[in-house]
Amino acid sequence: MQQPTVLQDTVIDCEKLSTREINQQLKAMVAEGIDRVKLVNPAGKHNLAVGMTEAIAIEIDGSVGYYCGGLSSGINLKISGNCGWSLGENLMDGQIIVRGNASANAAASAHGGRVCILGNAGARAGISLKGGTLIVTGNVGYGSAFMMQEGRIIICGDAAGNLADSIYEGAIYVGGNITSLGADAKLEPMTAEDWQFLKTELNNLKIDPRTYSFKKIVSAKELHHFKSEDWFKFKDAY
Amino acid sequence: MIDKQTLETSSTYNPQTIKAIQERAELGRYLIRGYGAFRNVPRFDDLVFLTASLTRFPLEGYREKCQTKTVLGTRYAKRPMELEIPITIAGMSFGALSRNAKVALGQAATLVGTSTTTGDGGMLPAEREASSKLVYQCLPSRYGFNVKDLKKADAIEIVVGQGAKPGGGGLLLGQKVSKVVAGMRTLPEGVDQRSPCRHPDWVGADDLRIKIEELREATDWQIPIYVKMGATRVKDDVKLAVKAGADVVVLDGMEGGTAATQSIFQEHTGIPTLPALAQAVEALKELDVYGEVQLVISGGIRSGPDVAKALALGADAVSLGTATLIAMGCNKPVYIEDYHKLGTEPYHCHHCHTGMCPVGITTQDEELMQRLPVEQGRIWVANYLQSMMMEVQSLARACGKSDIHNLEREDLVALTLEASAMTKLPLAGTDFVMR
Repeated sequence: MQQPTVLQDTVIDCEKLSTREINQQLKAMVAEGIDRVKLVNPAGKHNLAVGMTEAIAIEIDGSVGYYCGGLSSGINLKISGNCGWSLGENLMDGQIIVRGNASANAAASAHGGRVCILGNAGARAGISLKGGTLIVTGNVGYGSAFMMQEGRIIICGDAAGNLADSIYEGAIYVGGNITSLGADAKLEPMTAEDWQFLKTELNNLKIDPRTYSFKKIVSAKELHHFKSEDWFKFKDAY
Repeated sequence: MIDKQTLETSSTYNPQTIKAIQERAELGRYLIRGYGAFRNVPRFDDLVFLTASLTRFPLEGYREKCQTKTVLGTRYAKRPMELEIPITIAGMSFGALSRNAKVALGQAATLVGTSTTTGDGGMLPAEREASSKLVYQCLPSRYGFNVKDLKKADAIEIVVGQGAKPGGGGLLLGQKVSKVVAGMRTLPEGVDQRSPCRHPDWVGADDLRIKIEELREATDWQIPIYVKMGATRVKDDVKLAVKAGADVVVLDGMEGGTAATQSIFQEHTGIPTLPALAQAVEALKELDVYGEVQLVISGGIRSGPDVAKALALGADAVSLGTATLIAMGCNKPVYIEDYHKLGTEPYHCHHCHTGMCPVGITTQDEELMQRLPVEQGRIWVANYLQSMMMEVQSLARACGKSDIHNLEREDLVALTLEASAMTKLPLAGTDFVMR
């Protein structure tokens, strides 16, 4: 008789397992050469699929807690529910897609790869971003992109106050309203390359960027070096 | 002819204050400098040992064994940090320090069997190679922090703050942000780099607990997690760090140094190392984790007696930053003209922030850096650590201890009321303890 299919072999039911046991099983599967795993019943557990440094596709069927997919490199992670704080924190490369909403600090200090949230993201999305791309098809909360260093953030919806405060480099594209820009952030005209970049990134999600009035935000670079006459800008930084 | 002895100086507007006012008038900002606090505070010098006489029996110096082995991170880590001596080298970034200085520190630490620590700039490959035991710092900036280097670490130190600037972030002025430094930190070359004062992905102790679990999961619970803080509200902060799951608490008193920060932080924030240590030990005892969670104390520790007194008061180890730079030649009376170009003199230099370090330690200038050959730096630091350990062992033997970790509070008394009050040790020659 035929043995169970590969798909059945690679399902982890999280219901009665601890975070430690789930992650150990994931790593053991990677070591065995399994490159596709499904997690069911995650029940909002924190720290699922963290520290993964091998190419592996992980599907999580449900909502997760803090740091899901954090400190990882080369993963392809799909989450069908919502996420707690710091989704994909410090991601190096690979991709994370969330069907629901993400809480605060999505993709905090990520170096590369792509984090894509099909719902809304909370405060400080893309904080200290160091590279890669963060896409939020809904809205983002207060203080998003604070001290961002490199990379791209695409927000199809609205951005709450103090967006892009004190960014060093990189670009943020906002399709909806911006409550306020933070210190040293400025609007810059969209170029053909910018629209092409948005098209490339959003077409994969079946979104036409031309249906939004995207604005581009970059660093004004006026606070890169302190000058006495800029005191008022420093004084009012976030 | 004016007799300089009779010139009067205002205590409110003394020469330093006058200079500080005029510098601020010219710059339009606060003063930034390296080093640590200049002010005089109660310190380990205010304690003395009650060595053995009749009621206690000393051990023979240089003959009888006195163990120095030190283990950190026994609470949860499968692979605790095993050190030959209880003196570690504190986190100082590549960027603040030159490449040669970082590598020399790593090699010296390896030679004497202790650990060294990365810094705000991440893990320099040459530093990893040089250091047999390397603590990888997870700082608020996350400059150079990544999972691949994380997995090469022997311990992780989550930096909440440091003694020279508790509550404040760092400043690396543009002249030190070279192409290599900027590349490691993902910053534009030459930018005035600000290090944030808080972590981007957590904002309180409950979050820290989950953050610590993330780091443990990423490293399979193999290596210890330290939490480093500047000394301010010590008892509460230590308790929260312990409850968040720290294996080791690292506490940095106000004498701690820095590469560059506002002078006001160095002089006006935090509490000295001596009372910080006493309060941290009390906090661990109140939580009943003393001995289970190890305590590393730092901030202005310079000598064997400082280390021995810290151990006697309850620390498991100490950490040195500025003192190791001095061992490598910081403030040495050489290249005098270069000190003069900075407007200072040997023994008075605190211009680490300028990147023009006359002795090649806190610079990214290739020519200046060559003034500190790695081999020379390695020998100086290793000799310094070795000599300190001989001092600690001598004091321990004189107190009748065959293990330096057996030094205890009963071996100490205080010379001043302030030190007595801060440590709850009796004032020397009396039974008086201020409660």
